[in-house]
Amino acid sequence: MNTEFSEDDLAFQKKVVDFIKANLPKGMEMWTKRNEWFQALKAQGGWDVPKWPVEFGGPGFTPTQRYIFDMEMARHATPPQIPFGVGMLAPILMNHGSKEQINRFMPGIRDGSVNWCQGYSEPGAGSDLANLKTKAELSEDGTYYLVNGQKIWTTLAHIAHWMFCLTRTSSSGAKQEGITFLLIPMDDPGIETRPIITLGGSHSVNEVYLTDVKVPVTNRIGEEGKGWTYAKGLLVHERTGLAGIQHSVLALEKAKANARTVKTGDGSLMDLPSFKNKVGALEAELLALEFTELRTLSQVSAGEGPGPESSILKLKGTEIQQRISELNIEAAGIYAAPWSGQPIGPDFARGATSSYLGGRATTIYGGASEVQKDVIAKNVLGLG
Amino acid sequence: MDLSLTSEQRLLQDSVQKFISTQYSISERNNFIANDQGYDNSNWQQFADLGWLAMTFSEEFGGLGGSLVDSMIMLEEFGKGLVVEPFLSTVILFGAAVELAGSQEQKQAIIPAIIEGNLIGTFAYAEPVEPTNLSAVQTKATAEDSGFRLSGMKSLVFNAVSADKILLSARTSGGDFDADGISLFIVDPAANGLTRTDYATVDGLRASEINLEQVRVERDGLLGKTGTASKLIQGLANRGILGLAAEAIGAMEALYKSTIEYTKQRQQFDHPLADFQVLKHRMTEMFVEYNLVKSLCMKATMLETQGTADAQRNIHALKYLVGKTGRFISQNAVQLHGGMGMTEDLPIAHYFKRLLVIDAQFGNTDHHLNKFVG
Ligand SMILES: Cc1cc2nc3c(=O)[nH]c(=O)nc-3n(C[C@H](O)[C@H](O)[C@H](O)COP(=O)(O)OP(=O)(O)OC[C@H]3O[C@@H](n4cnc5c(N)ncnc54)[C@H](O)[C@@H]3O)c2cc1C
Repeated sequence: MNTEFSEDDLAFQKKVVDFIKANLPKGMEMWTKRNEWFQALKAQGGWDVPKWPVEFGGPGFTPTQRYIFDMEMARHATPPQIPFGVGMLAPILMNHGSKEQINRFMPGIRDGSVNWCQGYSEPGAGSDLANLKTKAELSEDGTYYLVNGQKIWTTLAHIAHWMFCLTRTSSSGAKQEGITFLLIPMDDPGIETRPIITLGGSHSVNEVYLTDVKVPVTNRIGEEGKGWTYAKGLLVHERTGLAGIQHSVLALEKAKANARTVKTGDGSLMDLPSFKNKVGALEAELLALEFTELRTLSQVSAGEGPGPESSILKLKGTEIQQRISELNIEAAGIYAAPWSGQPIGPDFARGATSSYLGGRATTIYGGASEVQKDVIAKNVLGLG
Repeated sequence: MDLSLTSEQRLLQDSVQKFISTQYSISERNNFIANDQGYDNSNWQQFADLGWLAMTFSEEFGGLGGSLVDSMIMLEEFGKGLVVEPFLSTVILFGAAVELAGSQEQKQAIIPAIIEGNLIGTFAYAEPVEPTNLSAVQTKATAEDSGFRLSGMKSLVFNAVSADKILLSARTSGGDFDADGISLFIVDPAANGLTRTDYATVDGLRASEINLEQVRVERDGLLGKTGTASKLIQGLANRGILGLAAEAIGAMEALYKSTIEYTKQRQQFDHPLADFQVLKHRMTEMFVEYNLVKSLCMKATMLETQGTADAQRNIHALKYLVGKTGRFISQNAVQLHGGMGMTEDLPIAHYFKRLLVIDAQFGNTDHHLNKFVG
């Protein structure tokens, strides 16, 4: 075991940091210069798709390099990638897609010109995803599926060009069997998307109604009835990504800086032991979680693949994210209350409340915390 | 010791419950908060007609001579219904201040008008420099031929947008953070030199930042004596905390109950969610913690009403628990509802936000825990 970065790793780290400093868009350019940023990453040799294997244009990072890369990207608050295409669908395509599908869909995913959304959850199928009912019936001539049903909580469906979707092609046997993975264009006339406004008033999730949507069989990934297996492999990756550990490291530093600006008695809020101890506790747990992530990565490099242990990262990582957002609420004090575009109170207070509200979802999506614990209990500890 | 409600109090409770169940659905509430002042005038008139605004004022000025407990009964129901009308600002804070410290003329001019529903008042005490410190008053009041000139800033003044009168703390002597030297003034919001920045709060209410530049207040605008308002301000904050606690308790009850209802209905893995032990235990914890806050709220209300020496300590403990338990219950209500808990269509989200703002008012969880341990 070696916990130090090697010379090569340190050189790599410097290269990443130098790159970021030279290319990172500033301020509002974060939005307007997004494309240039991802192009520059690509020109480095696949840095825009750090998790992709070399044969698909990825950079071929070692696990340590990937760790360093992710860490520096988070530390410097670089523009985040919308996860659905690059992070979620691409690995499934790479593993289970046909050559034609790979050629057809991977370029749009990579250059960000095609937006994807994830159509898994349904009103009756949340934690119990295998209970999904959206029906896909193969046409008599075997050329297309007729899809009918409803998806819910579909993030960014309202701006998506395509949805990767779990559908039911058979209801005999176990629930997990008979699920088929389809790629569905969102501009089909049989698709209706309705907004859901969430805690704090934002619109990112939707209901998606599918009525007699004709999906060519060429849009089916892999075999009919095997969709569950494909999706499950992906969920593990999704969880690893959701822990957001390096973002939390950064967020905690910011929370401390915020608290230092809040006058409390003769000092600042950071001088108050009750507050300082909460910050300290989070810092200690983050240190431990960071290294837990490294351990998970080293398993991957040993060829073991992120197992159910990725649930540890998701479970603990999201809890920590939420606790950090609570620190900001506490530091904002009365200024956690105002809700307007107007500058009321310290600058950080404005974002604090919406992050806190929106952040409640992190322990619900991607496998709710209670269910993650079941996964660990069952698959790691062998408890029922 | 008798902790049960009197028959009059039960009638009062019933009448508030009836009002809410017939006139205060979440969609009706959404309409109320949509207008500029953030509540509904005809509701306020009903409060007056039903005698709710008269409840705690003395009979001499047209009140019903009730106690703080009567307000708490109403506020707990208001909490369940997420009522947005300015009862706390007008009656619990502003009206009480006038009754406790006002001159005969001031009482005569103000209390009957409140009771009739014709006067909205509020209390401006927090300042940007250190909002949780009631003595952090940098707003200056300078004496000037029989009156005063006020200059300074006040933050998060609820209902200022609709207020006919604003009660405001200002310094007549001493240093910026001294407890001595603070006075209270009743200010006309339309006065020259007073400007407001109005905004919605996350729970749908309205508050304002108030800027005072050489605002002239006549002698009869002074409430009580100059320089000695600290004790009254703390007393008002305590009443505010008790009122908010009652509201929070109502909101927490609504949350734990609707979570129980929801988990009984919602099926996953071929079972109602309520069958899963971890969720049963979580809801049991919500119920247990709710009961602790409820108990302490009753105790603190009694002690404060009696003016007992350790009332203050109990109020710090109460506000600490209100914040902590409010957060625990609202977070778990959302969590146990899953995605549904995140939607603005269900009341859950609105209770969540109200409890968040209640924690922020009059000092949050941490602030009061630190005060409590001393
Ligand atoms: C902001 C947001 C974005 C989302 N984006 C997407 C998306 O893009 N695509 C998509 O397909 N889905 C998406 N989802 C849906 C998400 O995956 C589901 O919300 C999640 O799976 C939980 O399902 P549910 O909401 O139906 O809650 P439920 O499954 O009803 O769960 C409710 C509560 O019960 C608990 N529970 C459930 N089963 C058990 C059990 N066996 N034992 C103990 N406790 C249990 C849960 O932990 C939870 O606390 C999103 C959700 C949110 C909130």
